[in-house]
Amino acid sequence: MATHEDHDRIIEAARRAVFAGQLSRRGFMRLMGALGLSAGAAALAACGGSPAATPPTAPPAEPTTAPAPVATEGAAAGTLRVATEIPVQLDPAQASSDAEILILHSIYDYLVDIDAGNGIVPRLAREWQVSDDGLRYTLRLAEGVTFHDGSPLSAADVAWTFNRLRDPALQLPTADLYANVASVAPEGDLAVVFTLTRPNPFFLYDLSDNHALVLKAETAEPAISFNGTGPFKVADYRPENRITLTANEAYFIPGKPGVATLELIFFADQAASVDALRGGQVDVAMRMPTPLFITLQQEPGMTAVQVPTNGFDLVRLRADREPGNRPEVIQAFKLATDRAAIFETVTLGLGAVGRDSPIGPLFAAYYSEETPIPPRDPARARELLAQAGFPDGLTLDFHVPDSGDRPDLAVVLKEQWAEAGIDVNVIVEPESVYYGENGWLEVDLGVTGWGSRPIPQFYLDVMLVTGAKWNESHFSDAEFDELATRAGSTLDEAERVAAYRAIQRILIERGPIIVPYFFAALGAIRAGFSGFELRPFPGRTDLAAIRAAG
Amino acid sequence: MALDTVERGIGSGVATGGTPGGWRRALRAIWGRPTSAVGAAIVLLFAALALAGPLIAPYRATDQIASARRQPPSAAHLFGTDRLGRDVFSRVVLGTRDIFALAGLGTLVAVLLGTGVGLIAAYWGGWPEELTFRSFDALLAIPALLLALLLLGTVGPSRQSVLLVIVIVYTPIVARVVRSVVLAVKPRGFIEAARMRGEALGYILGREILPAVLPALAVEAALRFSYAIFLVASLGFLGVGVQPPAPDWGLMVLEARNDVALAPWSLYFPAGAIALLVVGVNLFADGLRRALQA
Repeated sequence: MATHEDHDRIIEAARRAVFAGQLSRRGFMRLMGALGLSAGAAALAACGGSPAATPPTAPPAEPTTAPAPVATEGAAAGTLRVATEIPVQLDPAQASSDAEILILHSIYDYLVDIDAGNGIVPRLAREWQVSDDGLRYTLRLAEGVTFHDGSPLSAADVAWTFNRLRDPALQLPTADLYANVASVAPEGDLAVVFTLTRPNPFFLYDLSDNHALVLKAETAEPAISFNGTGPFKVADYRPENRITLTANEAYFIPGKPGVATLELIFFADQAASVDALRGGQVDVAMRMPTPLFITLQQEPGMTAVQVPTNGFDLVRLRADREPGNRPEVIQAFKLATDRAAIFETVTLGLGAVGRDSPIGPLFAAYYSEETPIPPRDPARARELLAQAGFPDGLTLDFHVPDSGDRPDLAVVLKEQWAEAGIDVNVIVEPESVYYGENGWLEVDLGVTGWGSRPIPQFYLDVMLVTGAKWNESHFSDAEFDELATRAGSTLDEAERVAAYRAIQRILIERGPIIVPYFFAALGAIRAGFSGFELRPFPGRTDLAAIRAAG
Repeated sequence: MALDTVERGIGSGVATGGTPGGWRRALRAIWGRPTSAVGAAIVLLFAALALAGPLIAPYRATDQIASARRQPPSAAHLFGTDRLGRDVFSRVVLGTRDIFALAGLGTLVAVLLGTGVGLIAAYWGGWPEELTFRSFDALLAIPALLLALLLLGTVGPSRQSVLLVIVIVYTPIVARVVRSVVLAVKPRGFIEAARMRGEALGYILGREILPAVLPALAVEAALRFSYAIFLVASLGFLGVGVQPPAPDWGLMVLEARNDVALAPWSLYFPAGAIALLVVGVNLFADGLRRALQA
């Protein structure tokens, strides 16, 4: 196939065509995607402000089958090589992909972190108090923390970081998330106070948002300064090739990092990173197609790890125009879908079967099976379509990103839906095209991958509430909105549980979405290392915890 | 691009003239040579599959048998089944029609268009010829696959776009071959004579020049067809050509790539079909060239 020189030539030719107006940006990205040049396309997409390819996340609820972390402490030793996708945006406030978050949280620290059981645990902040009215959070920072340039961490740095993230004028992706924050102020050198405008039971989770890595105050160029407090320092960054990090000997958490050198090597293609793992060029690979994971499970000298996650593929129909604005059509899609068969065929039984709502089984008390999913009934679906004014069935374009198991999901759905008279034209696109120019928010029928989050409220707020930023199905339901607002603000846990249950009923009955499955996070590490604990959002995996054995 | 083959093709064309007797001799020569006979047989076999595919394939290309995913080849599934429980044999057989339709139709249109443009522009000479062929040269400076990717990036992936791409990529090549023959024939006496007789342009092009072009064109068409097969498969493999769940061979290879350790047969058979057909067409084209040269 094409060599690197060819790639350069194509990119150059295509760029010229874009600027000459002969090639749309969408077309350009389709081309780049075809070449596996997601970085080139994403760089251009960034001009248009494309959203997070996979909306970000955090941690797991069940322990992995990885080797247990080794308790022995000692000097960092050895080299760990990790395959990642190509990072594009390394300003923490802008980063979104697994690769970007994985790199950045090795260099920087969060205030608080989320553990494998979905609990909040200390990181830079060692302890915190919440006022009785739930509006005032005081966090006390660890002592003796220094940035890589040697300067000490102070509360002013934390305040500057969060004031930047929430500044509406900067239009960062986190502005909405922190819109509820009234002020962030240092209290002495080592305490910082967050004041909210209304109670938010999930505020500590918001503080551990993927973007919320603490920078030094007044950092001029956050995308290239790399002046963090984290376990590793940047030694060498070669864009689109690799980033080499060395252990921060002054790191404030004892026993971390475990390795002296951390090399993150970039691959444009998940299959290529798995090949590199099998060939011994890297020690760790995360995110891969399920069949490749099964292959790695059978490979000697390799530990393949899977953890269930709250992440899911969302099949969604636009509900604000024909044909999705007809409730019968939404019902027909749901009745024509066999979720259990998809789970077996597409995800090979890894993860969990979905119930058309983003509130998955790992959310424990919030998850409910009290509303039954109607059994599959293509004949009934056909009748409903006829009632809705489509006696001859429906024909729709079905937009699908080319990542993960999504193309297979689309092909299986096409067959299932065909029995109900729904004929879809599957259009497989590189992620940069699917998400580019906000195309995913426009199309009638599409599949979107949503990364795992530690709390369900995030999905409701950005994806399903009327007018939400990423409300791709354009769902608007007064009762739902009311319940989502209540669940996101009440301090009464029982009331929240009741609201989430009602929300699941509404989404099953009339939500223009199908959640066929919750996927598992997949990863593998070569023998000779310990402490690898894969997280549901693989980018939040703690590479500083990994040690070379022996 | 196999320019040397093209040049040799041109030489043969001029040498034979292409009488009906010459064509019959050529056919006999093809069957007489073992390599070209094998090539012709392969092409005929696939052509038959393309025509009769639905009669031969035991399943539809999209039938998913949930209980029989990733089954190795057996009596029930000659080539096994893929990750979604689809019969690989049926998909390979049914995919033949797709690849013949796309590569064949694309080649046909490119040959017709290229012949028309090549004949007229080359015979005309002067600035129309310069303009046409210099712009074709510019197009040919870009490797075919890259040009195809650029075009598909602009118009979006679909069957029609792939067809369009084949026509755009191969028309200039065909036109150039035609032009070289026309330039060789134009100064000959019989053309001069026809012009003196006051024959119409259409007559001169169609009755005097075209027969001289045909042998080279036949070889060129066969070669283009083999390249077109490769191009369709390549585009399918890159995911910018025919879209799933169509049984496109290139697409099947792409989809089976991640599955190679679990169901290698779902990769080997479509990949083997591409290889076999391309080799077959090339052997046939080579035989055709030799036969017409003889």
